[in-house]
Amino acid sequence: MRDKLIWEQTESSFIQHYYQLFDKDRTQVGTIYIDASCLMWEGQQFQGKTAIVEKLSSLLFQKMKVDEDPITGFHQMSLMFLLKNISEAWVCTNDMFRLALLNFG
Amino acid sequence: VGDKPIWEQTGSSFIQHCYQLFDKDRTQLDAIYIDASCLTSEGQQFHGKAATVEKLSSLPFQKIQYSLTARDYQPMPHSCIISMVVDPIMGFHHMFLLKNTNDAWVCANDAFRLALHNFG
Repeated sequence: MRDKLIWEQTESSFIQHYYQLFDKDRTQVGTIYIDASCLMWEGQQFQGKTAIVEKLSSLLFQKMKVDEDPITGFHQMSLMFLLKNISEAWVCTNDMFRLALLNFG
Repeated sequence: VGDKPIWEQTGSSFIQHCYQLFDKDRTQLDAIYIDASCLTSEGQQFHGKAATVEKLSSLPFQKIQYSLTARDYQPMPHSCIISMVVDPIMGFHHMFLLKNTNDAWVCANDAFRLALHNFG
């Protein structure tokens, strides 16, 4: 089994770190973003660290797992991060989230 | 209704053009990629224009229902645009990073996942 390529290693440890902050202490998610960061959440745009942290802190779901609707359907989530190395630290400059609700009713 | 931001207009027409080529004549995708382009398709990596176009040309499905997709665009430094296309019907996610080189837009990074739903 090959070693993960360096960018895969960076990306997977970043994402793991991100999800842990998201689940346990969302106020700390601010360390991941910079003032030039952009987030798109379900088509809405948020610009800058403050606005992004405010939006992420306001989200209702507790863990990176959406509450399941027992009536219909399955949920499909799409999350894209663009990471940049600034002064030897990795930050997220662009972030996009889409939740696709699939209804089979 | 306000005008859409320039990065959204550029990203949107680029992607529409790209999907049309994908549907009608995949050999022309050669113009979209550069030698530094990277494609990830279902977790497999391809580097460079030739490898990318070869992979895309070999994909079996014929058309993408572009009109049904959700599309997000963001501006990035150094004249780049990042786009994400999500299709809840076919279940695919497609990320493009577009770069302006010599007044032409090319795709520098491309990542694609088809989410197959298992209901068994």
